[in-house]
Amino acid sequence: MAGNVLIIAEHWNGKLEGVTFQMLTKGRELADAMGVSLEALVVGGNVGGMAEQLATAGADAVFVVDDAALANAAGGLQAEAAVVALRGIAPRLTLVGYTLVGMELGPAIAVRLDVTAMTNCVSVDYVDGAVTVARPVYDGALHARIVLDADKPALVALQKGATPTAELASKNASVQKLAIDVSSLPKRGEIVQFIEEPVSDIDITKADIIVSAGRGLGEASKLPMIDECAKALGGLMGCSRPLVDQGWLPRERQVGASGKTVTPRVYIACGISGASQHLAGMSESRMIVAINKDANAPIFQVAHYGIVGDLFEIVPELTAQARKG
Amino acid sequence: MKIVVCCKAVPGAVTEVAVAQGNVLSYRSQFQSMNECDEYAMEEAIVLKRQMGGEIIALTMGGITTQDILFTAAAKGADKIVRVDAQAQDPRAASIVLAAALKTLGADLILTGTQSRDSLSSFVGVATAQQLDIPFAFAVTAIEKDGDNSIKVRKELGGGRSADVRLPLPALVCIQTGIQPLNYVPPARLMRARQQRPTSLSLADIGLTQDDLASKGYRIASVAPPVRTGQATMIEGTPAEIVSTLLAKMKEVR
Repeated sequence: MAGNVLIIAEHWNGKLEGVTFQMLTKGRELADAMGVSLEALVVGGNVGGMAEQLATAGADAVFVVDDAALANAAGGLQAEAAVVALRGIAPRLTLVGYTLVGMELGPAIAVRLDVTAMTNCVSVDYVDGAVTVARPVYDGALHARIVLDADKPALVALQKGATPTAELASKNASVQKLAIDVSSLPKRGEIVQFIEEPVSDIDITKADIIVSAGRGLGEASKLPMIDECAKALGGLMGCSRPLVDQGWLPRERQVGASGKTVTPRVYIACGISGASQHLAGMSESRMIVAINKDANAPIFQVAHYGIVGDLFEIVPELTAQARKG
Repeated sequence: MKIVVCCKAVPGAVTEVAVAQGNVLSYRSQFQSMNECDEYAMEEAIVLKRQMGGEIIALTMGGITTQDILFTAAAKGADKIVRVDAQAQDPRAASIVLAAALKTLGADLILTGTQSRDSLSSFVGVATAQQLDIPFAFAVTAIEKDGDNSIKVRKELGGGRSADVRLPLPALVCIQTGIQPLNYVPPARLMRARQQRPTSLSLADIGLTQDDLASKGYRIASVAPPVRTGQATMIEGTPAEIVSTLLAKMKEVR
């Protein structure tokens, strides 16, 4: 079927997010394999600068919906604006980020346009004339491989960090501003204010080594064991989301999509199964070590070194040997 | 305030997962429980009812065995429990069923979780709102009343960012984990809740047919443990041996 590959750019405060460049890289590969063009769509308020950046970052064409009303709109309005744009552009395959922003945009757009939607994808490839994705199911222990019908347009939400970013040759793309009357779209709520968490005293994003605890720790009283190990190694303690949800640790320690993105020299995941939302925050660490009882835990998919064993034996030993130097 | 909480029964300790006829996955499981993300939606509904009054309806879809989670919902504080007698693994089909049921039930506020532990799509909540043509917000960590006909919610945007959003009612809100502590349900209360009769709705009751539930546009080719992309090197031995190997490897990383 006709139609190109299109990525929906994700941005914050006038800057394109990392996942945008991951999608651009993957989108370029797919478009080349399919023999079609790569397009990018930027929806927001005052987004001209980002559109210019995308024009030299590997896209063949850039479309813009630029309206001040979109800057402070709830996700629903951005989705409606994107829907109008996509109706005109009619791509065969649309990529969005499987991020907290994309989790609103993706389903909202897919339903409106009645396209096939696959979210939480760890890969998307063009195989034997069909777009094929892989996505986790059942706690992430398994991946389903799904082949999309070739005759129907589709939307794929790609996990942050699942595909690498490459430097792409500029295509000197044209930037086309779409004339969409945003005021005529259903409003769906408005943003009262944006909040950015202030930088705290404990900044795990600057740590050289992070020892992170997950559900496998079992109880809050075991946290000092992790903290002592982190200190003995000259690092900081981090954690996965469930520990913050249970009130064991403050939000500033949380690694993952809804917490901090960290890239330490060494990341040691203790009793963390490796849900995609956690992996999104640490998969770029230079060395990842996973300690887990379950040899099938998804964390071992991203780890460079794996230890299948009891963290209550390994972690104190690590502390002891680190202290000896 | 009439609050409907959409909650899903998810299988635990799943084995023998395979692609089955009808473009679905078959599996064996030891038990079913309420999807943890949806439990947070249920807890938030109880807090909202305490603040604003009204009623809570717990809604699920699935076969007869899935009504067990509705008893859990009733024990937690749902006033009414409803099951749509329909099976749909496809998230889009699920959103069509839930939207049709919600139209039948009516609601000022619809709460769901952010993700189910079996299909891991984060799709159904927002898709259901779109089917109903109502405002939505995802990953919400706080809800407060804002005038007579709207609410103010705080939603996460990732990386420590969030936004306060005003939503006119009716609206659908996907509740982020951790919004309230999960409360333990005493067995005695669960036993009492089992006396309640869930309302059962057929597809015909909500104006749908089996055709509406078809998964369209894709084919599940296979399901298997993921191909190892990271090539993790496994370190084995006694704890002392493992740790000394690990420390040596850590020194090599720049």
